[in-house]
Amino acid sequence: MAISVDTPEVSARLCRKAGLTYTFLSDPKEDVLRQYDLVHAKGGPGGTDISRPAEFLVDSTGTVRWVNFTEDIRVRARADEMLAAAREIR
Amino acid sequence: MSPQNIRRNKLIWIGLLLTIAAVLSQGLYFTRLPGQHVFPWLNLALAIVAVILLTIGLLRAFRQPDLYRGKISGSISTLLAVVILIFTVTMFVDVRKVPASAGAPKVGQKAPDFMLSDIHGQNVSLSQLLSSPEGGAPPKATLLVFYRGYW
Repeated sequence: MAISVDTPEVSARLCRKAGLTYTFLSDPKEDVLRQYDLVHAKGGPGGTDISRPAEFLVDSTGTVRWVNFTEDIRVRARADEMLAAAREIR
Repeated sequence: MSPQNIRRNKLIWIGLLLTIAAVLSQGLYFTRLPGQHVFPWLNLALAIVAVILLTIGLLRAFRQPDLYRGKISGSISTLLAVVILIFTVTMFVDVRKVPASAGAPKVGQKAPDFMLSDIHGQNVSLSQLLSSPEGGAPPKATLLVFYRGYW
């Protein structure tokens, strides 16, 4: 699932356009971003606060099993890295 | 020395090619190639080497005009390469201004539960996502992807 500061309407448009079917959650008030210490202050267009890119793999007990914090917003976790991490969980 | 013996200033042309390669390599981050993490550095290195080669090429075109060509092409190419380098460095610094996120959940820790609205306006919690059956069985894990938004 994916989380950003985008409103449900904006995320709905993105899902429609890109054909994405997994869960998209909206955190416009940055509550979860603060909870997870991921707020990128003034990182968005027009000096808005956004999320820094980050990926967490959480198992069924709620435990974090794998994380990825990029140092360069152009470089993100690739699908094969995420799948490899998921395969470790049984 | 006769004009026939004036050599082509290879450094200028190599420098220009590297500048073009530096620009083209920007697009490589968006590929799925492994080793994607090195591309930002490769991009920067290409732009720096291009400026160095062009500067040497330009200097010898001006200092030894009877030996090397390239006063005009060298000046244009060097100017272009410097602009590209400034752009590359600015971008390199800019895209790395991400917070350290020292307080983020670490491997082995519990991911704090939360509840947020999905695209249909329904409230969904992390615990719900971790336990709700998908295709019959509850999922083994859930991937949380935090992204910048504004798409």
